[in-house]
Amino acid sequence: MSAFQPGLVHTPVTPFTGDHGIDFYRLGQVIDFHRRHGADALALPMHAGESVSLSEDEKRSVLAFAIANAPDIPVIAHVSNAGSAIAAALARDAERAGAAAVVATTPYYWTPPPAMLLEHFSAIGSAVTIPLLIYNSPDEMAGTKLTTDLALKLIERLPNFAGIVDLSLDWQFMIELMTEAPRVRKNFLLLAGTEHLVSAGAIGARGLFSPLAAIAPHLVRRLYDLCREEKFFDARPAQDEIAALRQFLKADGPAGLKAALRAMGRDCGEPRPPLLPLAASVQARLADALSGLPALRHEPRGW
Amino acid sequence: MATRFRGVMQSPVTPLNDDFSLDLATFERVLDFHVRTGATAISWPHHKGESLNLTIAERKLFAEAAVKVVAGRIPVTIHVSALALEDTMELARHAQAIGADGVLAITPYFWTPSPEAIHAYFVRLCGAIDLPVLSYNSPSYLAGVEITGDLMSRLIQRLPNFAGVKEASFNSEKFLEIARAALPLRPDFALLTGVEFLLPSVPLGGVGSYSAAGSICPNLCQDLFDACMEGDWPRARTLQAKMTRLWLLFRDQYPSSLKGGMVIMGRPVGPTRPPLPTASKERQAYIRSELEALGILDTEPHGW
Repeated sequence: MSAFQPGLVHTPVTPFTGDHGIDFYRLGQVIDFHRRHGADALALPMHAGESVSLSEDEKRSVLAFAIANAPDIPVIAHVSNAGSAIAAALARDAERAGAAAVVATTPYYWTPPPAMLLEHFSAIGSAVTIPLLIYNSPDEMAGTKLTTDLALKLIERLPNFAGIVDLSLDWQFMIELMTEAPRVRKNFLLLAGTEHLVSAGAIGARGLFSPLAAIAPHLVRRLYDLCREEKFFDARPAQDEIAALRQFLKADGPAGLKAALRAMGRDCGEPRPPLLPLAASVQARLADALSGLPALRHEPRGW
Repeated sequence: MATRFRGVMQSPVTPLNDDFSLDLATFERVLDFHVRTGATAISWPHHKGESLNLTIAERKLFAEAAVKVVAGRIPVTIHVSALALEDTMELARHAQAIGADGVLAITPYFWTPSPEAIHAYFVRLCGAIDLPVLSYNSPSYLAGVEITGDLMSRLIQRLPNFAGVKEASFNSEKFLEIARAALPLRPDFALLTGVEFLLPSVPLGGVGSYSAAGSICPNLCQDLFDACMEGDWPRARTLQAKMTRLWLLFRDQYPSSLKGGMVIMGRPVGPTRPPLPTASKERQAYIRSELEALGILDTEPHGW
């Protein structure tokens, strides 16, 4: 399989209307914003896009909409599910719809051991011919995580297993993975799953999945470009600024992201239940804090 | 002024006789070996030195030996973490009395102390001695107990001798959180990692690490540190990969595997105290084959 290099991947939010329906008008604006502000590719709907709260049909609609509205850049389809067959079906449909790749987490809820993970990812990967990326996020998945050993087994089984999007931030795992995996799959990819790119980049990450690009696309682009050029010492100020921004938003998940988007003049509504919107007073405090953040001084306001 | 605690610092293993008693003569050889092969500081007894399996009297005895043998050639810090904090305080005062250059202390064991309790602990420890105190953060071994960025800021602002951290989360976000909290307040704060994880930490402001495998491969330690400080990333990646394979080898039954490896390198240091196992002949043979495969036998010093 030829080298798949998604580069800087933005992971858009899913805008909702007042009655919790998908706001496709706003989604069009969101996708257009990402295209004009440095996205090399899009991945959606990720957890930042509340994927878990979308029905299967809605996921298919969001993907088709993004592919139609971003014809100039690759769109990666997020197909995670608890059930292997459901995830595999989503993957198959994503390929048919024109997705450039699929990305999947470990299964929701079951906290499966490695043998089950091997079967789960095999089912998804063998359902498609486009590249499969695996999203390794132990904190979100009650500790379930990829190991290097499992990655090597998956490389053996799946010609289209292209890489790992890492949210573990675990140095040992990343170093071990990038020592072993590229020996058996030359272009094996490590992508940072959050904007902590300096350490991952030094270890060998060649891509980034970025939810914060919705808030600070210039800053994220600067960090990404410096890391791609291996200027890791020079990248530290940008890395510090993004860490400061992330610290404000991390605890509140998509609700925080949406509150920040509103503060930046790009209202995408509130999150879907069971997530609750931030209280008005908290939103006001957040808007205040963001307006004082040097990191955001040169970032776009409005669409 | 830059911190004195930088580079790859060595924490010697604790040599034992066959009856598990302390082997002072060999300890002196280990110390001298590290100083001669490029250690930038000595710190003893880390967990790798079986600290928790030594009595307080034994710890004092070897601490004195370390200060005496190193004799000012490089800084010596004493690891004072003990199950009972009263013992920690005693070891810290002793370290100061014998002329050590600093102490290292982990967050208290077992009790999963709150941030306030951790704060009180470091206030007490730093107040009891004038030496620099290096803190030790290891949440994965201590049920998630950690020194957060906020706590680090408070301690630095309050304590002039709160001089650094051995940050052993091995996690990008946690390391950066501490760097962001500490370095603006104290630019010469010794931001260190463990296990030679230099490639991911140096670009975030790290100035060095303690070493897991330095008694096996001092040359590799030095080369990796230089490559990182020079920003020679392709070379650093290759060396870090090699170092990580060694860590995977030694992590299993640490530190008895390390002692087993030292036999292969011509620097035998005896058994490991129970409950830790001692590397068997079979295990040693396996370690030899791995060291051979990594080229360590050709590139690193053999014997003392």
